[in-house]
Amino acid sequence: MKVLVAVKRVVDYNVKVRAKADGSDVDLNNVKMSINPFCEIAVEEAVRLKEAGVATEVIAVSIGDKACQEQIRTALALGADRGIQVETEGAVEPLVVAKLLKGVVEKEEPQLVILGKQSIDGDNNQTGQMLGALAGMPQGTFASVVKVDGDRVQVTREVDGGLQTVSLTLPAIVTTDLRLNEPRYASLPNIMKAKKKQLDVYTPADLGVEVTKHLTLVKVEPPAERQAGIKVESVDELVDKLKNEAKVI
Amino acid sequence: MTALAEEQLSALAAIVGADRVLDGPAGAEQYGRDWTRAHVPAPCAVVLPGSIAEVQSVVRYARRAGLAIVPSGGRTGLSAGAVAARGELVLVLDRLNGIDDFSPVDRTVRCGAGVVTAELQAYAEAKGLFYPVDFASAGSSQVGGNVATNAGGIKVIRHGMTRDWVVGVKLVTGTGELLDLNRGLIKNNAGYDLRHLVIGSEGTLGVIVEVTVSLADPPGDLAVMVLGVPDLGAIMDVLHCARGRLELHAFEFFSEEALARVVEHQELQRPFDTAAPFYALLEFAQPDEAALEAAMAVFEETVEQGWVLDGCVSQSVAQAQSLWRLREDISETISRWTPYKNDISTRVSDVPGFLAEVDAVVSEHYPDFQIIWFGHIGDGNVHLNVLKPDELPMDEFQARCGEVSRWVFEIVQRHGGSVSAEHGVGLLKKEYLSYSRSETEIELMRGIKRVFDPDGIMNPGKIFDL
Repeated sequence: MKVLVAVKRVVDYNVKVRAKADGSDVDLNNVKMSINPFCEIAVEEAVRLKEAGVATEVIAVSIGDKACQEQIRTALALGADRGIQVETEGAVEPLVVAKLLKGVVEKEEPQLVILGKQSIDGDNNQTGQMLGALAGMPQGTFASVVKVDGDRVQVTREVDGGLQTVSLTLPAIVTTDLRLNEPRYASLPNIMKAKKKQLDVYTPADLGVEVTKHLTLVKVEPPAERQAGIKVESVDELVDKLKNEAKVI
Repeated sequence: MTALAEEQLSALAAIVGADRVLDGPAGAEQYGRDWTRAHVPAPCAVVLPGSIAEVQSVVRYARRAGLAIVPSGGRTGLSAGAVAARGELVLVLDRLNGIDDFSPVDRTVRCGAGVVTAELQAYAEAKGLFYPVDFASAGSSQVGGNVATNAGGIKVIRHGMTRDWVVGVKLVTGTGELLDLNRGLIKNNAGYDLRHLVIGSEGTLGVIVEVTVSLADPPGDLAVMVLGVPDLGAIMDVLHCARGRLELHAFEFFSEEALARVVEHQELQRPFDTAAPFYALLEFAQPDEAALEAAMAVFEETVEQGWVLDGCVSQSVAQAQSLWRLREDISETISRWTPYKNDISTRVSDVPGFLAEVDAVVSEHYPDFQIIWFGHIGDGNVHLNVLKPDELPMDEFQARCGEVSRWVFEIVQRHGGSVSAEHGVGLLKKEYLSYSRSETEIELMRGIKRVFDPDGIMNPGKIFDL
C-alpha cells in the first residue's frame, strides 16, 4: 500500500512571531523555519504503518519554493521513501494546495493520504477536506488513532465532547491531531541516507493546475499587550475590585 | 534566633525602616540560607536595605556593633555560602533591583545586585541583545549573587563564566566604603584589577551592590545533536573533532545510567534506539545548511573512527528542547535517591582519566553504590552523583560519602583540578580548599580579606577561616 504524506514549511512553533512594521504580513526575515508539527505527526504515522508492514512505500510531498526541500529531507530522514516538491512562489491558498495535491494523488494513486489537520501559520484547517471533495475520497479528520484493516481504514476522531470512530473505504484521506503519535528524532545515519533518496520536482503546470489568488491579506497586527497584574491588600479590596472595576461578580 | 537588643533593632530600623527589619523565625527561614540544608539558619536579624547608602549605613553600624554580615541574594547556592547559622545579620539585596543606564553603544547595562538573572536576560532580549550566562536557577538567582560566586552554567564553553561579562562592580567593603570598580571600561590597565578579586569572593570582601554587565549578540538558530559514544576517551575525540568545525554553544555529557532514569521518570523519548555507555550533547549554531553539513561531516568522521555509535539531531526548536531535557532533568530525576553530589573540574583532557579513577576507587570500596556522571564536560566540569542504596540508612550513607569526598579530592589534587568548579566553597568545601590551593595561596587570600574587611565581619567562616 502506497501512502502519501504532505509536509509544509512553517515558522517554528517555538519562535515568537512578529508582525512587520507596516502590518503587511508576519516578519519571516531570519526566522527559524521547521516542518509543521501536524505534518510531522503525519510523517510519523506513515512511517509506523510502513514499519508495521501495512504500507509499502511512503511519499512525502511539499508545496513551496526551493527551501521546502529541507522539510522534504526531514520527512525522508524520518523514514519516507521518496519526495516530491511542487514548486510555487509566495503564499499558496488551501484550495490551490488541495488542487495540486489532487494532481499528485492522480499521478501516484496512493491508498492513503495523511495530512496535518492544519498548518500552524495559516490555521485554515481546509486542505484535507477540500482534497477529499476534489478527489472524491472519504475523509477521517482530526485523527488520534488510525488502523488499516484490509481495504478499510478505521479512524478515531477527536470531536467536541469525545471521540468518534469512523470506518472509511480506501483510498482515503486522514488528517492528524496532536495525540496521534509522538514523532521520533531524525537519526544522523538516516539524515545521511535521506540525501540519496529520490526527490522529484513538479511545476503546477505539470499537474494541470493554475495557481490563482482568491484572498488578499489586509492587515497583520500583534495581539494587545497584557496589562501587568496588581496586588491587593485584603479580601475585601479584592471583592470590591472584582465587583466594581472588573464587574465580574 | 539569637536575639538582638531592642536598641540594636531600632538602630537598624532607623536605617532601613521598621518593617524592613525582620527578627522572627519566618525571616530567618526565608533569607537565612541557600539551597543547602545541612545548617539551621539562626541569624540575629534580617535587614532589607533599599539603596546603596542604606547598605553602607548597615555595614558601618554592624562594624560598630560587632555584628557579622551574611549577604543574601537569590539564595540558590549549593555550597552554603549564604547561610547564616551563627547569629549573623542577614543583609538582603532584593530591593536593589533596578535595571537602568542601558547603553546601546557600549552594549552594557547597570543592574542592582538584587536583579533576578532571568529579568536581566529578558531585558537584554527586549533590546535585541543577549545575556549569555544561563543556568537552571536563572529564575531565582540574582545578579549580585552570580558575581559573588562567579556563576557558570551551560553556555560556558561558548560564552565563559559570569566574570567574562562583568565590566563594572560596586562593592561596599567591610568598613562601609563604596568602591566603584572598573566603571564599564574595556581596557583599563591602571593598576590591579580589583573587580576580579571581588568576582567569586562569596561575600567575604564586602557586599556587591551594583553590577554593570556587557551584553552579546543573540545566538541565532541553535541545533542540538546527541551522540552515543562507546567510552569517555571517545567523548574527548568527538570534542576535538567538533571544535573548529562547529560553533559549539554547549558540550555536555551524561551516562546511560542517567539517561535510562530520565527517560523512565520524565516519560521522554530516547534519542535513538542504540544504547551507549555515554552520550555527548552538542549545541551548535545552525544559521544555514552549511552548518548542518558540517555537523554531518563531524558525525561521519567520528563514526568512521569508532568514536560514535549512533546519533540524532533536532529538526525544530521543540526537539532541541526535548533533547536538552535528557540532560537538564537529570538532577530532578535522581533527587528521589537523595544523592551525594560533588561539583569538580579538571583540565578538559584530564576528564576521562579522572572519572575512571573515581569510578575505580568508589566501586572497589562500595560496590553497591550507583554512580551517575553528567556535566559540562566541554569545559572540564563534571558533576559526580552517588545514589543512596534503598536499604542503606541515611546517616550511614552520609558517613560513607564523607570518605568518598576525601578520595575524590585526593584524585582532584593529583590531577591538579578544582574541588569546586562552579558552586564555590562556602561552608561546604572549606575543609577541602587545600586540595586545590596551596597554603601560601590561602594565606594570601586571608591577607586580602583583612585589607577589605579589617574586622572580619563580612561573611566570616566562608571559604576559609581567618
